[in-house]
Amino acid sequence: MFAYSRPLPFAASLVALAIAVGVSGCKPRSESASTAGARTTIQNKGSDTMVNVAQVWAEEYKKTHPQVDVEVSGGGSGVGLAALIKGTIDLANASRDMKAEEKAHAKKNTGKEPREFVVGYDALAVYVHKDNPLTEITHEQLREIFAEGGKVTRWSELGVKLPAGQDQIVRISRQSSSGTYEFFREHVLNKRDFKLGSRDMNGSKEVVELVASTPSAIGYSGLGYNEPGKVKMLKVAVAAGRPAVAPSVATTLSKEYPIARPLLLYTLGEPTGELKAYVSWIMSDAGQKIVERSGYVPLSHAADRK
Amino acid sequence: MNASPVPRFGETPSVRRRLRRENLARWVFGAMAAAMVLPLVLIVGYLVVRAAPALSLEFVLDVPKRGMTEGGIWPALIGTVYLVFLSLLVSAPIGILAAVYLNEYARENWFNRVINLAVINLAGVPSIVHALFGLGAFVYAAQFGYSIISAALTLAIMTLPVIIASTREALASVPRSFREACWNVGATRWQTIRSVVLPNSISGILTGVILQVSRAAGETAPVMFTGVVFFKAVQRGDLLPYYLNEQCMALSMHLYTISTQVPGVKEAIPFATAVVLLTLVIAVNAAAIALRVYLRSRKKW
Repeated sequence: MFAYSRPLPFAASLVALAIAVGVSGCKPRSESASTAGARTTIQNKGSDTMVNVAQVWAEEYKKTHPQVDVEVSGGGSGVGLAALIKGTIDLANASRDMKAEEKAHAKKNTGKEPREFVVGYDALAVYVHKDNPLTEITHEQLREIFAEGGKVTRWSELGVKLPAGQDQIVRISRQSSSGTYEFFREHVLNKRDFKLGSRDMNGSKEVVELVASTPSAIGYSGLGYNEPGKVKMLKVAVAAGRPAVAPSVATTLSKEYPIARPLLLYTLGEPTGELKAYVSWIMSDAGQKIVERSGYVPLSHAADRK
Repeated sequence: MNASPVPRFGETPSVRRRLRRENLARWVFGAMAAAMVLPLVLIVGYLVVRAAPALSLEFVLDVPKRGMTEGGIWPALIGTVYLVFLSLLVSAPIGILAAVYLNEYARENWFNRVINLAVINLAGVPSIVHALFGLGAFVYAAQFGYSIISAALTLAIMTLPVIIASTREALASVPRSFREACWNVGATRWQTIRSVVLPNSISGILTGVILQVSRAAGETAPVMFTGVVFFKAVQRGDLLPYYLNEQCMALSMHLYTISTQVPGVKEAIPFATAVVLLTLVIAVNAAAIALRVYLRSRKKW
């Protein structure tokens, strides 16, 4: 604001008044789920991959538990975990593991150990335009396309001739706060950095949409974001000569599909009260049905077939 | 042009050339001015046509359903109303009183020049920077957390300088002779302000404040950082669904999320959301214009 050296009679006193009213009008948020009147509010933030399933959880939970308000926001796994570390939210969604230094940071800031819950699984699909004749791809080829120092920049180098005629590969990636970005970097690029010049989209859905409208594009996004008829999911092989596996619920469960990851929730310390009830509900049949309906792989199946 | 049977007086080739250029210039400027109408008609027309299948009273009053792919926008609409109302409740009194001080009391010295400079520069700060400031100041430092209060205060700081500027302009438009007449019968400055300056400038002040409604309603970044969520379950048509230390949904953010983050949204819904936001803003602006016309008709000079 302004840098005053003398107080302003009206403005300054009003600012003070406004802040005083603000402070007395609402108590600061406690570290765990805060209670306002008879209602409980759970603040839930994080992964863009999980934001849609988290939204449906909140929508459905309200129907059976009207006293609990769940506030859902996205931003990326990194954003959710950062807010949890600062103690400003109750529940973080993450599509990657919390790093050791993040856990240490959270412990230092809030005095509580973050607690992790696996609430489902997601397969990361590699998408190309529906007219692209390519049907399968190996990790090695993905590294050559996406990773820094990779040599493949044209479709003809993969032996592909696009019907539309373009040859330059348009790489579609995610913003760096995304758990999807992090996971792809670690598990497909072997922790090498991404090549510069990719289109970094802010949402899982945007990746699929851009691929659908760009014949020469290749991108990665969650299995749940597939739009059949507009884009094509490639079969993925860990190495040349190994069988290429199509991404699906069945292949994720059987661990045949190589780019799959757990969907995680983090709380500060062991959850209690309504927060505990909410997390348990998510892991129950009701919550897991929503995971399945959103295009992800629910826990119960995973446990059955392990 | 030179086909005229009676040669015009003094029409040399140079005059004819200048006349041709004059016509060309007028035509180009006129076309540019007319082109201003085109984008507005295109935008509004395109939005309304695309939105038509979803637009209804039910759409406005209902809550989002089936993973936000169906249903209405009630929680977002009411959240926007909350944020705009609260932010103006804070910024309008502070802004107006500060402007009164600057225009009526402040003398021309370095201190007041610094304040002026601060107001002008604050008005030019991009909204994303306000967002970051709000996050640091209200969410973390003041411990309001992600909440309606944090978001409304962030919007208030963003709208404050513009309110100050527009109020000062309204105050400055009151002729100095009015004040002098008042001072000369022995009135103090405050008496003069209360009985002469404010009544004569109130229409301009209110217009300036109301125009900030559209700005506050349309901003996404400042509220997204400080207290607006992707989704929050609310009862259909509930007028008071949010406590002030909770987060809310907002139309601008909702439009962004359903267009970029949610798969399988019915095509008309984002457009219908945009139409509702636009209608809200246009209605408020129209109210401002009507108010100004009414108050101005009562001016005696």
